[in-house]
Amino acid sequence: MGIPDETAIAENYISVAIHSSLKKYGIRKDHASAETFRRRGMKIAIINGNPRESDQAFDGYLETLAASLGDMDHEVTVHGLRGMQIIPCRGCFDCWVKTPGICRFKDDAVELCKSYISSNFVVLASPVIMGYTSALLKNAMDRLIPLIHPYLRDEHGEVHHLPRYDAYPLMGLLLSPEPSTDREDVEIITDIYRRACINVMSELKFVEFSEKPAREVANAINNN
Amino acid sequence: MRLTIINGSPRGEASNTGALFSHFIRGFEETSGNRAEVLYIIKNLKTLNVLVDAFRTAEAVLLGFPLYVDTMPGSFKMFLEALEPLAGRDNNPPMGFLIQNGFPETYHNRFAARYMEKFAKRMGCRCFGSILKGGCEGLSIQPAFLTEKYFTYLYEIGKAFGERGVLDERLLEKLAQPEHLTSENIAQVVPFVNKALWDSQLEANGALEKNFDRPYQP
Repeated sequence: MGIPDETAIAENYISVAIHSSLKKYGIRKDHASAETFRRRGMKIAIINGNPRESDQAFDGYLETLAASLGDMDHEVTVHGLRGMQIIPCRGCFDCWVKTPGICRFKDDAVELCKSYISSNFVVLASPVIMGYTSALLKNAMDRLIPLIHPYLRDEHGEVHHLPRYDAYPLMGLLLSPEPSTDREDVEIITDIYRRACINVMSELKFVEFSEKPAREVANAINNN
Repeated sequence: MRLTIINGSPRGEASNTGALFSHFIRGFEETSGNRAEVLYIIKNLKTLNVLVDAFRTAEAVLLGFPLYVDTMPGSFKMFLEALEPLAGRDNNPPMGFLIQNGFPETYHNRFAARYMEKFAKRMGCRCFGSILKGGCEGLSIQPAFLTEKYFTYLYEIGKAFGERGVLDERLLEKLAQPEHLTSENIAQVVPFVNKALWDSQLEANGALEKNFDRPYQP
C-alpha cells in the first residue's frame, strides 16, 4: 500500500474521531459472526507461556484443548514459547518508523506475528506468577507491536492505536493459579488484558483456569 | 536515606523513564542526607541476581517503567519473577513506583499501578505510592512549556519525598493531569502527534511511503 493522499489521511482522522470505531476497517464486522466461524472452521493459535519444564500438566492440558478444537474442525497451532527464541522488545520503534510492520530482531517472534495475525482466535496461556501471567508470555506480547500502527485514534473517548491490518483475532486467557492467587489478582489480570485488547483490536472472550475441563474451554471458543 | 532506583525501561539510560527519574533525583538529593543510586534492568537481563541483591539490601526502592501493551515490559516482569524468593521475607524495603506511558492520558497507567501495589503487598513491602504520568513518548521533541511543567513537578515530588519520606498526593495529582482528555482535546492532539511524532520519524528514515505496509497480511 502506497502513501494515502492528504485528503485520505484527513478522512481517516475524521472518521476515527467521529465514529471512534473500527467499522471503517471492517474489523468488528469480520469478527462478529460466530456462525461464519463455525461454517468455515477457525484458525486458532494457542500461545503457551508456561516457563516451567516441570509443569507438564499445563502443557498437557493445552494439548488436550488443541485436540478438542481439532475435533471441532478448527485448524489449531500451539506455540510453545519456552522452546522459542524471543528477544525482549527494546522499544526502538523501528517496526513503526523505520521498517513499518517489521521488527529489527529476526527471531521466532516473526513466526509468532504471522501466526497471530492470520488467526481468528488466540488463546494466551500461562501460569500465574507473582500475580500476573509469565514474563515469557509478556515478552512475546511486547513483540506483537509490529502488528499495530503507531498512529493514535479516539476509541470511546480514550486515545489508542490505529490498526495496521484489516482483521485481528479474538482473545481468550487461560491461567493456572499460584497458591496465593485470589479474586483481586484475577480482577487485575482481567482488567489489564481487557485494556490490552483495545490496542490489539481484539475482545477478551474469556478468562478461564485450567481446572476447567479442556472440552468446556474448547466449547466456549467454538461458540464465541 | 539511600534510595535504590530501578529503571525498567528497555531503552535504558536514554529513556523517557530516565528523564523523569533525573528530575525526581535532582529534588530528592537536594534535601540533606539523601542519595539515590540508579540501576537498569536492561543492563542486567542476564544478571538479574545483581538487582535482586540490590533489592535485598536496599533501604527503600523506587521501581519505574514505561507502559508496554498496557502493563510492565516483559523484561521488567522477569525482574519481578526473580524477586519471588524474597516474597514475605522480614525487612523487605518499602517500595514505590513510577509508571509512564506514551498516550496523552495518565489513566492508562492506573491498571499497572494497581498491579504493582498488589505486588508490594505480595512481597510484604510497605508501598509509599505511585508516580503516574501519561504523554511521555518523545519527551525530547515535546514543547518545552509542557515538559518543563512535568519536570518541575517531578523535582518537587522528589524534594518532598526527601524531606518527608512520602509521595505528596497533591503533587502526584497535578503531575497526572490530564487524567483523561475531552473528545475536543483528542481531535486536536491525535493529528498533531501522528504528524509531529510519527510522520517526522518515518520521513527522516525515508519510510513514509511504507507507513501502512502489511508484511504479514495472510
